[in-house]
Parts: sequence; structure tokens; C-alpha cells
Amino acid sequence: MSDEVAPRTGRGPDTSERKHLTFWGALSGWKPYRLIIGIATASPRRQFLILAAFPLLWVLTQHLGPMLQMLRVSFTDAYPVAPGVEQHFTLDNYARFFGDYIFWQPFFRTLTFASVFTFCTLILTYPVAYFLARHVSRKNQMLMLLLLLIPFWVGEIVRTYAIMILLGNTGAVNQLLKWLSLIDRPIPFMYTSFSMGVGIVYLTALYMLLPLYSALEKLPRSYNEAAADLGASAWTRFRRVTLPLTLEGISSGCTLVFLISTGFYATPVLLGGPSTTVFAETIAGFFHVAGDEWPTGAAFATIMFLAAIILTGVFQKLMNSLRKGDKN
Amino acid sequence: MNRGNRILLSCVYWAFVLYVFVPLVLMIVMGFKDSKFIGFPIRSWTLDWYTGVFDDAAVPSAFVYSVVIAVLATIISVFVGTWIAVLLEGRKFLGRTAIFGLTVLPALVPGIISAIAFRIYARWLGIEPGMGAIVWAHAVHNVPFVALVVMARLSTLPKSQIEAARDLGADPIIAFLRITLPYLVPAILGASIFCLLLSFDDFVRSFFLGGYDPTLPVLIFAKLRSGMSPEINAIATIALILTAAIGIWAERFTRRMNKES
Repeated sequence: MSDEVAPRTGRGPDTSERKHLTFWGALSGWKPYRLIIGIATASPRRQFLILAAFPLLWVLTQHLGPMLQMLRVSFTDAYPVAPGVEQHFTLDNYARFFGDYIFWQPFFRTLTFASVFTFCTLILTYPVAYFLARHVSRKNQMLMLLLLLIPFWVGEIVRTYAIMILLGNTGAVNQLLKWLSLIDRPIPFMYTSFSMGVGIVYLTALYMLLPLYSALEKLPRSYNEAAADLGASAWTRFRRVTLPLTLEGISSGCTLVFLISTGFYATPVLLGGPSTTVFAETIAGFFHVAGDEWPTGAAFATIMFLAAIILTGVFQKLMNSLRKGDKN
Repeated sequence: MNRGNRILLSCVYWAFVLYVFVPLVLMIVMGFKDSKFIGFPIRSWTLDWYTGVFDDAAVPSAFVYSVVIAVLATIISVFVGTWIAVLLEGRKFLGRTAIFGLTVLPALVPGIISAIAFRIYARWLGIEPGMGAIVWAHAVHNVPFVALVVMARLSTLPKSQIEAARDLGADPIIAFLRITLPYLVPAILGASIFCLLLSFDDFVRSFFLGGYDPTLPVLIFAKLRSGMSPEINAIATIALILTAAIGIWAERFTRRMNKES
């Protein structure tokens, strides 16, 4: 297989291929190499342990480590610890959140916004995914999907800025409405929950579109035809066949988009206003403006992570039971 | 009925295409405006903003900084992600689900929380804010994407090929290097490009782990906070064209590689 590919990828004709072989031959004949291989592959068990050691170490120290460290810091009263200061265990950081309702508002706002924006993204992208998977030929599908992917290669900040230009007081939308004589004075779209919503939906649409598309694409068209033969109307077919069978895609798309939209920091800062402060900004405040309040920031981040995980967990459970219920 | 539906849905699709493209097109156009103020209508045009992009020394240096970070982070993620994928794919062992869960964890943690956690951990490890810290955070964040893409490709590798190589006397390492790795090349390349773009575009981790030098997204953010200007449009447009071009090229390239093998 690899030998077939070799000439096409430009690795050259026969001569280099022979050199290639001698290299591998030489390597496997080389004494130190054979010794190491001999020891490493003495038993399948040892082979497996060598293979597994590095990934295990990596995920524990690099993937889990930061989260655990954040959790630990959230229970302390000083971090980073200044010289001469002792660090104590405390629950004050959590008490601070639950004791002061000014923190609740951005917290619940974040969860509400994220849910609403996720729902908007779903409503917006489902027909698009449906159209791509159902009404477009195989060849065009890829092209038309690629067309939608292009803007998503562009970064978060650049796309947020594009929305600022679109929605500003002298932005394209206001100018268009003025030109159509629908309004006299520009509508203040910017720095509201509306502009933030447009921005976040714009940023997350792809993460919804792809799971929906792959779920719809897997669904055999014959199911729909069978339902049609049995006399189901288009709406009934959608409600009773297509929708239940794509619940899995909906569930994973919504989970992904929800988690992503709770984590946005720059977009709310740039597109939102004082009345739309989200929890990400509250958390960031402890790390930037306030200076030595890292433990509080860590506690708040932990609270938000737990809330997001619990909410998505409940949501997935709900979707699962919906799916099971439909099968009966 | 079906036909009417189809037309309606195709309208929805093209409206969506407009929705995703129009803001970016407007942003590019605005960079040609001959005025300091962002907004329509545009009465006179100029190329000055585009030609002047690299006059400000901060822009090219932020650009190079971002590229270097992206390349280093990608190398690490590809190495680690591929290793994890090889361990997890097609093997059953105790704790596999746990390792898989931990592998995808960084991709699921919301941006701000992951940035905070990395900031605290970097401090604990003694890594100063700056390039090293950003590279490390990007690398960890991108590992799940590499692992998932490589696992998907690995699952389609016929086991018989490895067995044949082993029968012919290849040890596991050589069998891996000569059979598995060449087979994984399209997936690895695709994942690398994806990681490069993720890292190049990343804001929140670069912002919280950065030192005095800004990456390009952080620089644009800082400029935006002090006011909108066509200069930012020109910078953003250049970043946009670059990332979109790499994205399209990678998409076509990986598709061709996938077809060939």
C-alpha cells in the first residue's frame, strides 16, 4: 500500500526506494536497536504498558491537572502565594458568590443567553443542514458545505469585528433600513443582548451545522419514502421520522454550542454593553483588574463549569429518554 | 409540494450563505474607506489603509509571533494526539473510557474557564506568561482534535496489513513507521492545518497567558477597545484572507489524499 503511494507523492523511482529498504533493513539489523526492541516487546503486556504510559501521564497532568489545580486554588485564601504568607483552606470564595446577589445576575444571564442562543442556532441551521443532506446531489453537497466552512476558518475576533460593522449606528443594516425609508433614526443594535446574540450565533453556527448534517446524511431516504407511501404528510414525516432520528445530532450540536457560548469572553466585551455583562467578564475581572483575587476567580470558574456540565448532562439525559420513548 | 419545499429550503440555504459572508465582505470593503470613521455610506476610496498595514511595527511582529506559536503548538499536539489515538483505537482495556474522556476534556471546557485553569496551572508549574505558556496551552487544547481525527482514520486501516508486515518479520515499531504512519498521513496533515488555524485564531488563551507581546488576535482586540478604524479592517482582512486560503487549500488537499489512498 505505502509502496504504491510512494512514487506519486514524489519520493522518486526505484533507486530511492531501494535506499529506503536498506535504511529499514539496516535499522532492524542494528544491534542497539534490536536490543531495545527486544526488551520493549518482550511480552504483549510490556508492549502495552510502554504504549500507554505516555498518554496516561499526559492526560492526567495536562488535561486533568489544570482543572484540579483550579479546584484546589478555589479553596484557598491566597494565590499566587506571596513570600511570607501562609495559605489556608477556606470556603469564603464560594460563600462570596452565594452571599452576594450582584454575582447571580451575570451568572444566570450567561446560562439564559447561552440556552437562547443555542436554540436560535439550532432553528437557524437545521433547515440548512436538512437542505444540504436531502436536496443536494452528493457531488454538490461537499462544495456547498465547503462554501459555508470558509468563513468559519476566520478567527473569533475578526468575525466579531465584522458584526460590529454590520450592526453599528452607521452600519450596513441601519443604512439599508434608512435607505428603504423604514426608519428615520438608526436603531441602536449595538451593545445590547441582540448584537451579542447575533455575534455568538455567527460564531457557533458551524458547530451546530456539522453534527446536524452528519445525522441527517446518515438517515436513509427510504424511511421517508416509506412513510410517504403509508400516507404521511410532509409535516408528519418530518415530525415522526426525520426529527426523532436526528435527535442524536441535535443533542450533540446543542451541547457543543452551549458549552462554547458560555465560554466566550471577547465577543461579549466587544458586542455587549453594561446591561449584558456575562459571567466570563466577571471571572476575568478577578484576574485583571482586581489583582490578587485569583482564588475567587477560580471558585467562580468552578461554579460556572459545574453549572454548565450539570445543565448539559440533564439536557442529554432528556434527549436520550425522548429517543427511547420514541422507539416504543 | 416536494418541489415547493425544495425551493423554500434552497432559499434558506442561500440566505444563510449571505448571513455568513456579508459581514466579512462589508469588513473587507470598509478597509478601502477614505476616512477615519467606520460606517456607511462610503463616499471616497483609498488603498492607504491596506498599504499602510505593515508600517506599524507591532503588526508584523504580532503576525510572526502568532505564526511561530501556532507552528510549535501544532507540532506538540500532533505528536501527542497521534500517540493517544494509536493507544485508544481498536484496543479494549480497563480505563479506556476514562482515558478517552480525559482526552476530549480540553475541547469541552468553555473558553474562559480553560484559560483561567491554564493560567493557574502555568503559575503553579512556574511558567511565566509569554510564548512558552501560550504554546503549551494551545497544544493541550488542540490534542483532542488531533486524537479524534487520527482515530477516525485509524479505524479504517485494514488489520491484515499490519499482520502481513509482522509475518514478514517487521517488529511493532517498524510496522508502525512503515504501515500505520504512512496510512495516517492525510489525517495528520488535515489535523495539523486545523490546529494551526485554531491556534492562530485563538484569543482567550493567548490573552490570559500572554506576556507583553500580543498575538495577532490580541493586538486586534486591543486596537478595537481603543476605537474602530479602517486600519483594523485592513489588518483583519489580511488575517482573514490568510486563514481562509489555508483552510480551503487544506480542505482540498486532504480530500485528494483521502481519495488517492
